[in-house]
Amino acid sequence: CRRSRGTGGPPAAAQLALTSCNLFDSSADRVTVHFINRDGERLTAMAKEGESLLEVVVNQNLGIDGFGACEGTLACSTCHLIFEEDVFQKLDAITDEELDMLDLAYGLTDTSRLGCQVCVKKVMDGLTVQVPMEVADMRRGLEVGKQSK
Amino acid sequence: MALLQRGRCCGAAATTSLRRLVRGPQGRVCGRHVCSQYRASSSLPDEKKEFLQNGPDLQDFVSGAFSDKSMWAEYKGNLKRQKGERLRLPPWLKTEIPIGKNYNKLKSTLRSLNLHTVCEEARCPNIGECWGGGEYATATATIMLMGDTCTRGCRFCSVKTAKNPPPLDLNEPYNTAKAIAEWGLDYVVLTSVDRDDILDGGAEHFAKTVSHLKERNSKILVECLTPDFRGDLKAVEKVALSGLDVYAHNVETVPELQRKVRDPRANFKQSLQVLKHAKKVQPDLISKTSIMLGLGETDEQVYSTMKLLREADVDCLTLGQYMQPTKRHLKVEEYVTPDKFKHWEKVGNELGFHYTASGPLVRSSYKAGEFFLKNLVEKRKTKVI
Repeated sequence: CRRSRGTGGPPAAAQLALTSCNLFDSSADRVTVHFINRDGERLTAMAKEGESLLEVVVNQNLGIDGFGACEGTLACSTCHLIFEEDVFQKLDAITDEELDMLDLAYGLTDTSRLGCQVCVKKVMDGLTVQVPMEVADMRRGLEVGKQSK
Repeated sequence: MALLQRGRCCGAAATTSLRRLVRGPQGRVCGRHVCSQYRASSSLPDEKKEFLQNGPDLQDFVSGAFSDKSMWAEYKGNLKRQKGERLRLPPWLKTEIPIGKNYNKLKSTLRSLNLHTVCEEARCPNIGECWGGGEYATATATIMLMGDTCTRGCRFCSVKTAKNPPPLDLNEPYNTAKAIAEWGLDYVVLTSVDRDDILDGGAEHFAKTVSHLKERNSKILVECLTPDFRGDLKAVEKVALSGLDVYAHNVETVPELQRKVRDPRANFKQSLQVLKHAKKVQPDLISKTSIMLGLGETDEQVYSTMKLLREADVDCLTLGQYMQPTKRHLKVEEYVTPDKFKHWEKVGNELGFHYTASGPLVRSSYKAGEFFLKNLVEKRKTKVI
């Protein structure tokens, strides 16, 4: 799968055209992926094998705010996702470039990866990933907590 | 909707532009509707039919009835985002599609000189107005140096990003200066992308462009909207001492939202340091910054940020509405009303900024020349008195 793309403009739009026109795509090569959004909402998507998780979010217009700002070029950490331990172990090895960007991510865990570098495989069917909370959200949560007391 | 019923074919380019017309309330792209030949209107519910009968038609849009300012106060749409919602654009943010002689002339001049503008790269809504030339001024553009690809991915900006953008064009400072001097502008804004891949962040390149420009035309007023150079104050100094008139660097948002909105390599303290240091090494400089509203900040946060900026002796402040450039970027949390922007302008003036440009479509370099010159002229008048 494409690891780092240049411009994400026209190609993404063309890709979207293909995705929406493939009305009779066989579900056999589709993989179910669940995203737990920051507010706890569960978003489910049918991903194609070989698509990166960032592409899944963008192509299917999943409601995750500010995801993939650098369009998958390993220049930001906005596609930061938290995986379950067993799935995390099975992912492809992390590169230095990804590690550099991942280090800057807020709320880093031991099972964190960047979504643009993780490609969907058949064995990941039913995969559940968590979109990490942000600083602003945590603060707001604390403030609300204080007020309710 | 009538356009779709003619059953256009799904050519990629046609699809993209048609898709914009077909956006539903959630902003979802209804690609399938483009492929269908006929959409029978008899399948619509009765209220919809009535709505279409009695609602606006093409004439209303063409005559400009909806851009009437007096109707802004009556706008009843939602301005604060609820969970899962995407806000619709309020009428005061609708702009005309850029067309016209000046706009086209500028576009072709820029291409032939191989210049990039942030106006195009960041999809500025004022492009038609600035490039078309206002009532008094000639066209203004903000030239983007060091290429059109940035090394950071901030969640509000649609400028292209890459880990290793193409190397700098060493002739750019000379060529840019030559082009701008030929252009005959009175006020020019130079900005750049972030280049963390370059040792000094591109400061030398920047400084050279300014000094070449001043050499060719010492009367031109130059404003530089710089990156934070990763906090490298020596780089800031290089640019500050290059001969420019206005040193601008945007803090973008309140300190509480920095982590969410900007790239993690940027932060409020670092940006404030840049502004303070520029003034320290060159006290004659005018410093300027900009904040986006509508990302979820509170009034108290905005006020305290303005106070912090004034305490850092920042001279000029601009406040504008954040608009989501593409679906990969942050959603707009709130559309701030024009009246509220006027309020912030008053606050800014009370706090003592040289000028506070505040409005939904105001951007860092929007009418920068006009504000600056107007201010300068007024100040000179009071001095004489």
